Amino acid sequence: MNQVKPPGSGYQSRIRANVIRLFRWNGAWVAATALMAFGPKYLWNRALVFTLLAIGLDVAVGVGMVLANKNYLAELDELQRKVQLNSMGITLGVAVVAGAPFSMMDAYHVIPFHANIAYLLILMSLTFAVSNLYGTRLYR
Amino acid sequence: MKNRLKVLRAERDWTQAQLADALDVSRQTVNAIETGKFDPSLPLAFRAARLFGMRIEEIFHDPTQDKDRSSLSTEVKKDTFV
Repeated sequence: MNQVKPPGSGYQSRIRANVIRLFRWNGAWVAATALMAFGPKYLWNRALVFTLLAIGLDVAVGVGMVLANKNYLAELDELQRKVQLNSMGITLGVAVVAGAPFSMMDAYHVIPFHANIAYLLILMSLTFAVSNLYGTRLYR
Repeated sequence: MKNRLKVLRAERDWTQAQLADALDVSRQTVNAIETGKFDPSLPLAFRAARLFGMRIEEIFHDPTQDKDRSSLSTEVKKDTFV
């Protein structure tokens, strides 16, 4: 049977390119954050100028990552955008709901350790991953 | 919302991936629309209608509208016999 193909839009290749771009920005941000966190102690012996430069670099790369994420969301189709936005909403809610009591528990010494921001970031990452996976499977 | 996307696609021997590419969406989205798990937006419904050379209501239809229409005709019949 002679099949007539419909006209293509290149959606998949566009999304693939955006995912690669986002992945690179994420990697750069993680590297810049690691430099900012460990550089003062292990690389430049707490020299203030280098520390400020590392902080500036981290913020600049962070802005680039946010813009890459925004472009990625804008290019997604309506269902995928819905799944992503649902996941972001759940993540934001969990961060607010868990973050405030966690901070209070530290303030009143309910927990035997400091309420480090890293714990909240880990919780947010896990929440986003789980809710995104759930949303993706829901519409499969 | 019910739709004839799967039938129209099968008539043309297109895969979900080909239809998705033509509609500028992912294959997952085409599958979700075909199985009735997701209702497309108006712009996407228009794109589908343009692609198949049909009107939107020939591809998508709202089952509740049919119910409303049948209850309306029942009402009309009742009124006729009163």
